[in-house]
Amino acid sequence: MAGEIPRRRLLGQIWGALVVASLPSMSMAQDARDILRAAFDNWRADSSYAKVEMTVKRSNGTRTMTFESWTEGEDRALVRFVAPARDAGNATLQLDGSTYVFNPRLNQIIKLPASAMSQSWMGSDFSYDDLARSEGVIDDYTHRLIQTRSVSGGQAYVIESVPKRGVPVVWGKQVLTVRSDGVLISVEYFDQLGARVREMRADRIGNLGGRPYPVEMTMRRDDEPGEYTTVRTVDARFNIDIPSYLFTRSNLQNPRN
Amino acid sequence: MTDPLRTFVPLAWRNVWRNPRRTAITLIVVAVGLWSILFFNSFMIAWMQSSKDTALQILTGSGQIHAEGFMDDPNIDLVMEPPGPDLRTALEHNDVSGWTMRLGLPAVILSEYKTLPVTLTAVDPIGETAVSILPQKVVEGRYLADRNDDGIVIGLHLAEQLKTGVGRRVIVMSQSADNTMSERSFDVVGLFDSDQATEDFFAFTGLAAAQSFLGLDNQISELVFELQEEAPLEDNIDRLKAAAPALDVRSWKDLNLLLATTDAFMGSIIFIWLGVVFALMAIGIINTQLMAVFERMKEFGLLRALGMKPRLVLLMVTLESAVLIGIGVLIGAFIAALSIWSLSDGLNLSRWAQALEMIQGGNVLYPDYHPESFVLFSLIIWVLGILVALWPARKASKYSPVEVMRRDT
Repeated sequence: MAGEIPRRRLLGQIWGALVVASLPSMSMAQDARDILRAAFDNWRADSSYAKVEMTVKRSNGTRTMTFESWTEGEDRALVRFVAPARDAGNATLQLDGSTYVFNPRLNQIIKLPASAMSQSWMGSDFSYDDLARSEGVIDDYTHRLIQTRSVSGGQAYVIESVPKRGVPVVWGKQVLTVRSDGVLISVEYFDQLGARVREMRADRIGNLGGRPYPVEMTMRRDDEPGEYTTVRTVDARFNIDIPSYLFTRSNLQNPRN
Repeated sequence: MTDPLRTFVPLAWRNVWRNPRRTAITLIVVAVGLWSILFFNSFMIAWMQSSKDTALQILTGSGQIHAEGFMDDPNIDLVMEPPGPDLRTALEHNDVSGWTMRLGLPAVILSEYKTLPVTLTAVDPIGETAVSILPQKVVEGRYLADRNDDGIVIGLHLAEQLKTGVGRRVIVMSQSADNTMSERSFDVVGLFDSDQATEDFFAFTGLAAAQSFLGLDNQISELVFELQEEAPLEDNIDRLKAAAPALDVRSWKDLNLLLATTDAFMGSIIFIWLGVVFALMAIGIINTQLMAVFERMKEFGLLRALGMKPRLVLLMVTLESAVLIGIGVLIGAFIAALSIWSLSDGLNLSRWAQALEMIQGGNVLYPDYHPESFVLFSLIIWVLGILVALWPARKASKYSPVEVMRRDT
């Protein structure tokens, strides 16, 4: 009888070791995904309104535009430029996986072909894809928490996200840094050989709409270090009621708000 | 003078050599002129053949078959079924050395750095080797293994522009059968080296892989066939048209208009060259022959005074020209043959390969003898030369014996 207990304990220990050994990788992957999910939720919430100044720096000059944006859920977004006058009225609508662009001078709605999605959005360093797919990273990639480090304002998680096999993504990987309170601090995009192509970084984190928020973010391409695009959120509200007509093509062309 | 020729031919022969330096000049003018025509002709034919071979063997083939309207607006709604029994029989004809099916549709290729338009060309790699040299042009990685191969083979220059390479992923987007945009990641398995246009605009993948990517069953967009070297083009096109009345059957002449036009133009350009060269030769011939006639004024006067008819003077001087130009023509033809022979191993232009890519030429030209053009151009030059020399000859026959014999010079 005396021998049985140790045997059971041994068995228990083996099981325990197995569980413990398998847990970290699973839970860490889960954790990393949850952290990202939280970051995107924090960024967009269920619904959001934001007023943003976008500054595009090019070698031949700097241009600043102002737009308003509304988002609802993961796949509805409307962006409408309000200033300067020459850009005012340009609008982009995301609806059911399609992207529509309205140009007031043409008075036409254009449904963007997928081929155009990787083109520059309003001459900035962002592409239409960046607008549409920022959240795709959660499901299309596998995530790994590679580092925890302290940043101003708390701890930050560094997550390496590698696209899943077969997913149509050009990047070799993305490295996202998220502060423990859910603020996205940086997103780095790497090519398939591991060289960094571009980086989006939070320059200033403040409080907006009652939550910590990356108020100013800059996108920079590594091959054009002198050029960048900065988006500065001047006003934001989260989890608001948005009338359903807002995300329609007719509202894109003839705004009611 | 029962037989003037028997007298005049030896006389003309001797007269030709009376002033060796002038004779040599005329001979050189004629010989170099004819040589340039013959050599240029052979060179151009070799060039044409080479660019035709290169251009057609890359993708075009001897001809292609598409669904009606596809050529004007290549899109997925205008694909066609694989060939039916009639067309298949027509394609298995002895004149056809090979044929294969392709699915070529406009697409967009993306890398981390760039987005570029291409024609996604899905092929059956085994059939492809029968009509195209591209499978052998892979310089890095490998060509596609079979029709299920879902790797992608792109051109060197395209890879450079995309900043991608073998072993990396690219995304290809194209309209699929249900009119939505399909996108998929493809692994780059090989890079091919060709002319820049081909490198930039064609990306190859397996036929079956592309069909499933685009939501097609087994539809294709084109049939490419290659004819045997000596097979008549037009007859075979007509035969295939009859076998596939609903489809758009085209020969390479309709597919590569630039090449077809150049081909047609090459035939006439040699005659333009002949005209230019002959104008120069004529000046040389007339000049030297006139000089010869002026120098021999007293001689002609004497001959006339002795009772020779103007007609015969004309004949004699013309014979001299005929002999002289004839010798020049023979020398010209001989050195043309010699220089073509010296290049029979091929004229290697690979040093200018990059420039030649632009005009779709091959790197090595093989000039060849074309007996019919040797005979034709030699005869043309000889006859035209004699005609031109009639002017000095006529002048010689017109001298009044009294007048010229009275002159001091």
